[in-house]
Amino acid sequence: MPEPTAQRATNAIEIKGLNKWFGPFQALKDVDLTVAHGERIVVCGPSGSGKSTLIRCVNSLEAHDSGTITVDGTRMGNAASIEAIRAEVGMVFQQFNLFPHLTILENLTLGPMKARGLSRAEAEARAMKYLERVRIPEQADKKSGALSGGQQQRVAIARSLCMEPRIMLFDEPTSALDPEMIAEVLDVIVDLATSGMTMIVVTHEMGFARRAADRMVFMDHGAIVETGTPQEFFEAPKTERCRTFLNQILRH
Amino acid sequence: MSTRLFLTLACLTLLAGCGNSGVWGWYVIDPTTPTGMSNIRFLLNGFGATIVLSLTAAALSMTLGLMVALPGMSTNRWIRMPSRIYIEFIRAIPLLPMLFWVFYGLPVVLQSMGITLRIDAFWGAVITLAISDSAFTAEIYRSGIQSIARGQTEAAKTIGLTYSQTMRYVILPQAIRRILPPLANQFIYIVKMSAFASVIGMQELTRRANELVVTEYRPLEIYTLLILEYLVLVLIISFFVRWLERKMGADESR
Repeated sequence: MPEPTAQRATNAIEIKGLNKWFGPFQALKDVDLTVAHGERIVVCGPSGSGKSTLIRCVNSLEAHDSGTITVDGTRMGNAASIEAIRAEVGMVFQQFNLFPHLTILENLTLGPMKARGLSRAEAEARAMKYLERVRIPEQADKKSGALSGGQQQRVAIARSLCMEPRIMLFDEPTSALDPEMIAEVLDVIVDLATSGMTMIVVTHEMGFARRAADRMVFMDHGAIVETGTPQEFFEAPKTERCRTFLNQILRH
Repeated sequence: MSTRLFLTLACLTLLAGCGNSGVWGWYVIDPTTPTGMSNIRFLLNGFGATIVLSLTAAALSMTLGLMVALPGMSTNRWIRMPSRIYIEFIRAIPLLPMLFWVFYGLPVVLQSMGITLRIDAFWGAVITLAISDSAFTAEIYRSGIQSIARGQTEAAKTIGLTYSQTMRYVILPQAIRRILPPLANQFIYIVKMSAFASVIGMQELTRRANELVVTEYRPLEIYTLLILEYLVLVLIISFFVRWLERKMGADESR
């Protein structure tokens, strides 16, 4: 559980009336979502339901068309506010997006050195700390191409952690992985979750959701259809659409 | 197959001159005679000017091209538009008319604005080649940079890098290996197009060949040598670029 401090905003993330269009296609419809400090949210739903778009709006990788996003008290608007929000929010992508021309260590030190002004020694110490945390310090001098998918995703998580964010967003972190590598990545995310990090995870891994989520969010056609604790959500889904979805993905 | 046929024909054509058929007169550039030797020296002395002209124009073109390409990829259309207009406009101007305009016209324009600037043949040619070529290098940069997956830029944003940091540390180092081969192509093109500088009086390879032809009346031999001079230059560049590509490729797979 998070330690509430006086100067911190009440909620980590507040999203109100969020709308987003891609041309004529409405990707998000009046989305409201409040995430408390330390809360772990798992977002699921059929593909094209707006899950990824929603979390990409939170750190402004996508610009929204109407509604408000407030992250840790900072209301998203001008470039300065976006910069401030990105400093608080780490993100892990489906395709890892490591920088292939740099070594693992350089991937991790680039942000701290260039964006935060840390010295090389400080940045490298921090990088090694987080590489240990994701359990691959021995790969520091390799390039990302030499690593397995699971290792690459763990490096990507460590790269985000090096910026010491308060909130982490995971955009289908295991969808591009071979099945035998999913566990090693989920273990790292669960470990992070138990340390009190605020996180929103878009995933189809329902076992992980049961283990780690405080709250489930089910989206369909750009809207939040249902939210609830994992127990409510899996045992007694309230809507027909949610039941159908769960039947489809839990059947096998 | 057709390459071998062509080479055979080319060799036969050249060898034909070694007989007494009277078509070829290699004496004009025969290194064993004093006149031939001084003619050869006169022609080869153009190398320096051609090389300096090409290198200066290429360096300017590559810098200018990047400055045009970067705003051309903005999501803001008002930033993007000047870049597009520049590329479309410059690309449409043939090199020779542009050279005349810069050499004879630009000083007049500058004069009317109160700037007295004499543009000599060298700078006239450099400016023309650089500007004309920059429209093409800009497109090469654009395609190279856009070939780097969008996820790279997004990852850079999430770790707090600014636009210029993202370009410098993430995108350009990756794009450069894709940009290099077409950029080398463009450099070869500049070397060849530098021949146009001869018409505004610059003493480079082609100008010297022309001058010698006027006094010696042996265009066939002199222009053959001229072509070989460019061939040697271009082969050296190709060789150097191959080496550079290999070096960068080796570094990547470390």
